Amino acid sequence: MEEKYKVQVTDLHKSYDGVHEVIKGASLDVAPSEVVCIIGPSGSGKSTFLRCINKLEDFQDGHIYLDGVDLADPKVDINKMREKIGMVFQHFNLFPNMTVLENITLAPVELGKEDKETAIKEAHKYLQMVNMDDKADVKPTTLSGGQQQRVAIARALAMKPDVMLFDEPTSALDPEMVGDVLNVMKKLAQEGMTMIVVTHEMGFAKQVADKVAFFYGGVIKELGTPEEIFDHPQEEETKNFLNKVLNI
Amino acid sequence: MHLKKLRKLLLLPVSLLIAALFLTAPKAQAASKKTYIIGTDQTFKPFEIQDKDGTYNGKNPGIDIEILREIAKHENFKYELKIMSFNADVQALQSGQIDGMIAGMSVTEERKKTIDFSNSYYTDGVCLAVAKDSKITSMKDLKGKTVNVKTGTTSAIYAKSIQKKYGFKLKYYTNSNTSWADVKAGNADACFDDGPSLRYGIANGTGLRIVGKQVSNAPLAFAVKKGENQELLKMFNDGLAWLKKTGRLKKIVNKYTSKKAVKSQVVADTSILGLIKDNAGALLQGLWMTIELSIVGILAALVFGLILGIMGIAEHKFWHGLANVIIYIFRGIPMMVLAFFIYIGMPTLLGHKLPLFTAGILTLMLDEGAYIGAIVRGGFESVDVGQWEAARSLGLPYYKALWKVVAPQGFKLMIPSLVNQFIITLKDTSILSAIGVMDLTQTGANLIAQNFQGFKMWLIIAVIYLIIITLLTWLSNYIQKKMQH
Ligand SMILES: Nc1ncnc2c1ncn2[C@@H]1O[C@H](COP(=O)(O)OP(=O)(O)OP(=O)(O)O)[C@@H](O)[C@H]1O
Ligand SMILES: [Mg+2]
Repeated sequence: MEEKYKVQVTDLHKSYDGVHEVIKGASLDVAPSEVVCIIGPSGSGKSTFLRCINKLEDFQDGHIYLDGVDLADPKVDINKMREKIGMVFQHFNLFPNMTVLENITLAPVELGKEDKETAIKEAHKYLQMVNMDDKADVKPTTLSGGQQQRVAIARALAMKPDVMLFDEPTSALDPEMVGDVLNVMKKLAQEGMTMIVVTHEMGFAKQVADKVAFFYGGVIKELGTPEEIFDHPQEEETKNFLNKVLNI
Repeated sequence: MHLKKLRKLLLLPVSLLIAALFLTAPKAQAASKKTYIIGTDQTFKPFEIQDKDGTYNGKNPGIDIEILREIAKHENFKYELKIMSFNADVQALQSGQIDGMIAGMSVTEERKKTIDFSNSYYTDGVCLAVAKDSKITSMKDLKGKTVNVKTGTTSAIYAKSIQKKYGFKLKYYTNSNTSWADVKAGNADACFDDGPSLRYGIANGTGLRIVGKQVSNAPLAFAVKKGENQELLKMFNDGLAWLKKTGRLKKIVNKYTSKKAVKSQVVADTSILGLIKDNAGALLQGLWMTIELSIVGILAALVFGLILGIMGIAEHKFWHGLANVIIYIFRGIPMMVLAFFIYIGMPTLLGHKLPLFTAGILTLMLDEGAYIGAIVRGGFESVDVGQWEAARSLGLPYYKALWKVVAPQGFKLMIPSLVNQFIITLKDTSILSAIGVMDLTQTGANLIAQNFQGFKMWLIIAVIYLIIITLLTWLSNYIQKKMQH
């Protein structure tokens, strides 16, 4: 493990049923402040890979280091590690029994990171950043998808994570909402957040990513800068995939 | 760490339970003079005659109770009556739940194996009775007929012994009144029962007729468990000798068996309104017991069910298995069996008595709790898995995620099922009348033993149940509506 990386995944193997491997030896290095976009066909294992990074899924083999700490080590307190890894889901997963503000303050207060007063102040700060501060006191179910997703991002940021994981954050949104969410993510990238983003938004990947990883059949088939992947793909599978998604 | 917390959570009710079991019992021993618990039958005239409120505190409580009363006064001991079915009494005596028993019990060789009897206070026998207009005139007419007996009684033993010879079918009851009413209604053709009891009933309008002579005459006696409570037995014998010597025994017996025998309180007004007015006190008391049992029972069951539900979705799979087994066991055992097991079986295990109310609540807690456990687990499980993932990804530990995020959503989903379970619990309390709890159902049975108004009384009882359940349903709908806003 090399110190210069924020996240380092080496030779990851994962199977859900103990028979069929879904991730068949994937490795990825992410430097601090780097933005890595993961693209690839459906079922290739992108979500699984991402979810292994905060151990929402267990994995059978390989290592995932966060700031040099190995998540595969059973002695590591996974809850402490998760505090440093923010995650944004395709379906937002806001807590419907709480207001927007309570969604955001829950974890910092419950985990003793901040007292209630500070947490509320901070929450408003993040809500302003995602342009949702006027909705602080409503229940999430009254919001549009795009609004919910921006709240979800604020909720993850409130834990002041070192790394943010995004799993297709705009896939469940109406097209006119996508831009708002992507803009927030761009802003985050500019501020130096380390990000791993599974996405079908090729435009976003081209514009924001430092590296693009093409997932295929449970491995990273091709890895490179946006130019390398989008303009000069080397692998046959990458070319086929890009042909399909860029020509619809 | 989570395991420890869960263990603590589990320990709480278990220790409460154990505390309840051990704290409630030894009170009797602590008193300066021992109070004996004496088991007796539900109304078994003329030996036991419950008053309107289901007690034996009145002026004409029956031969057994009057004898016991006089002897206790003369021998200077305190006692408390435990009213159950005859059969439950016998079991309770053998398990040590009660110290002695007086219930028109006849002395038999079989019983002598496990029971020590006092000297006899009366000689009793078995009679055959049929409906007034029945064509049956002798035992020979019983071929192919259905004959009622009371479980565990001498009549039942006698009937069994001649069943092959006369070729009738036996039907078992736990209480004479139901058995007689069944014969009168034509559901059964005849019944064997205690002679004096039948005659007293006939004098009070059961609408039956005795066929043939009294047979299988046997002495009646007071009973204790073999080898136990010998001092009580001795006091009873001493007292009985005194009663015999002074002629008091004869007076008591005559009071109930001579031609001028006391009649049950005659109910003047047998219209539904009249019955309600006449029995309002007893009915309210029964209703109150039903409500008390339901509320305390459902609270205990909620605690137990909540623990089972949390075990069912605990982080460690071990707890899932344990919760499954517990739920499987208590859902699988019929509640009446569980009630008997707890009230009559457990004392053998614990070595001391279990108060009736506690036994009732324990039964409800375990039985209804198992159902609630399944509801709670189901409610938690039906919360979107994304809620778990979002909470855990923020760094919340398993049980924090459960309490803060998943449980509040789960409970909302559970409310309709929980309310339904509460209504079921309220109805299920009637099963506890089997172990002698004086709830609404048992009160009804007792009142009918007084006034023989089976149809009207059960109708009244049914309507009372319907009314509270309707009120409860309204209340819960109202709360649910409130919660949605
Ligand atoms: N919980 C699960 N249990 C069993 N198999 C699963 C589970 N989740 C995913 N899989 C399987 O693992 C493989 C990879 O799934 P994954 O969700 O990681 O793909 P993906 O690349 O994210 O696809 P998509 O673009 O459709 O989201 C698929 O074959 C999928 O069926
Ligand atoms: Mg996916």
